[in-house]
Amino acid sequence: MTRISPGLLFALPALIVLTMLVAYPIMYTALLSVTDQQGNLVGLQNFQRVMQARTTPVAFYNTLVWVGGSVVLQVVLGTATAILLNEKFAGRAIVRSIAVIPWVIPGIVGALTWAWMFHTEFGIINYMLTAPGIVDEPVGWLVSRNTVMPAMIAINVWKLFPFVAIMVLAGLQAIPKDLYEAARVDGAGFWDEVWHVTLPQVRPVIVAVTLLLVIWALNHITTIFAITRGGPANSTLITPIQIFRLAFESVQFHQAAALSVMFFAATMVIVAVYIKVLSAKEEKSL
Amino acid sequence: MNERTRAGVIFTYVCAALVVAVCLFPFLWMALSSIKVLRELYTIPPVWIPTVPTLENYRTVLFDSNIPRYFLNSVIISVGSTTLALSIAIFAAYGFARFRFRGKAYYQSFILIGQLLPTAAIIVPLFVTLRYLGLVNTYLGLILVYMIITLPLSVWMLTSYFRAIPVELEEAAIIDGSSRLGVLFRVTLPLSIPGIIAVLVYSFITTWNEFIFALTFATDSSVKTLPIGLAEFTTEFDTDWGAVMAASMIMTIPIAVLFLSMQRLFIGGMTAGATKG
Repeated sequence: MTRISPGLLFALPALIVLTMLVAYPIMYTALLSVTDQQGNLVGLQNFQRVMQARTTPVAFYNTLVWVGGSVVLQVVLGTATAILLNEKFAGRAIVRSIAVIPWVIPGIVGALTWAWMFHTEFGIINYMLTAPGIVDEPVGWLVSRNTVMPAMIAINVWKLFPFVAIMVLAGLQAIPKDLYEAARVDGAGFWDEVWHVTLPQVRPVIVAVTLLLVIWALNHITTIFAITRGGPANSTLITPIQIFRLAFESVQFHQAAALSVMFFAATMVIVAVYIKVLSAKEEKSL
Repeated sequence: MNERTRAGVIFTYVCAALVVAVCLFPFLWMALSSIKVLRELYTIPPVWIPTVPTLENYRTVLFDSNIPRYFLNSVIISVGSTTLALSIAIFAAYGFARFRFRGKAYYQSFILIGQLLPTAAIIVPLFVTLRYLGLVNTYLGLILVYMIITLPLSVWMLTSYFRAIPVELEEAAIIDGSSRLGVLFRVTLPLSIPGIIAVLVYSFITTWNEFIFALTFATDSSVKTLPIGLAEFTTEFDTDWGAVMAASMIMTIPIAVLFLSMQRLFIGGMTAGATKG
């Protein structure tokens, strides 16, 4: 027997625990997805059933809207906030501390506070819109099929744009000052600087953060589940919630496992890209 | 900056004010709603500042609901999972930071993937396994499952922290006849206390806020955690929003305290590093 390296020995307990908690469940999901309740192999039957369910394409479309809407707005608003917080102005330190509040507040607390603010009758948002006459009558934000998903995305954007701002701000602060001086000598204005100096310099940070946000949005359940549980009429049903409901409300563990396998595969593609980008960045910085 | 126009300066302040309003208002509204009486909560036009501030909502939450129990459950589960993960992560991080061994990069990626795993995709097999082991609706069950979240994070953060400690300090101890474990506990760990506290705080906050695992594996009120308890408040048709906001405040306070203390710690660590050059 070859001697185990001391480094591996140190890492072994963590690796064993994670294998049991992560690798084993993944294998087990795969097994569940091709068997029935009696444990017989049934081939791709569970996959077929899931694909035929009417909710599956709905959930898939909702997930795309949810992830796309959330991530684009988080990145744009977060980057804009970072550029703002990198400017010199009185009270900047206070604004910086306040800007992280949404990120620090527990997700469920943020979700419920917004649910109260979006309340159709007594919500402060409807009051702010109706009082100056921006809209004629109160909007049923969380009960109308057309507004509920945008409302959910708004909450998610509010929650995570501070994270983008913190990460991008750290990147901005690392940009050498002489790049700006050179740009100014060339007669660049503020927006020229943002477009031609700032953004290209923080591009790697933005790419890494974007991928992370995509993964988080795909895994996110708290906000939607706490407020609508996927309703009304499945208009906020995203795939993770569909998995949960299929398994624990319809008690279709094997179909839920089949859906999990597909969801897992799709997510892992993005994770693989993320790790590739991250390691490429590390190599560059070494 | 002298060529910046007046309009630009005004634009900056308008944007800053907007950021402050958007980030602060929901929190303020939660705090204000939590001390309003029923009459002032449900009225149009809304009452901005409560005229008769009351602690009645807090009384309801603390004495007429399960929230105190859920609070205790959350503390037990978060502390349990955080400490358990840290004690395993210290060794793993030390192994990754100080040794070269075959397949190290793969093992590290494996741990990173654990952190990025789509949790919804593994709730089904985890539930089946926990049910088989009789661990559904137990503290131990959730503590173990939460290691999926806390362990990768702790290993990752501690590895980079250990790497930053000069290896010469450890070599000196080894020359003095100390064992590897002795070095870890007498040299590396005492130097890493700020990093360890940061890891503890971060894992505590993540588990404190965790939703989907708690929802799946703790369905009995004896082990339910705060996020689930809070969500339950609103699933009934008749939501007592004053109480929900009071319970939200109660859940936020420990996190706010931890975060503020951590911020000080981080700033302390940064300035200490700066003076040492």
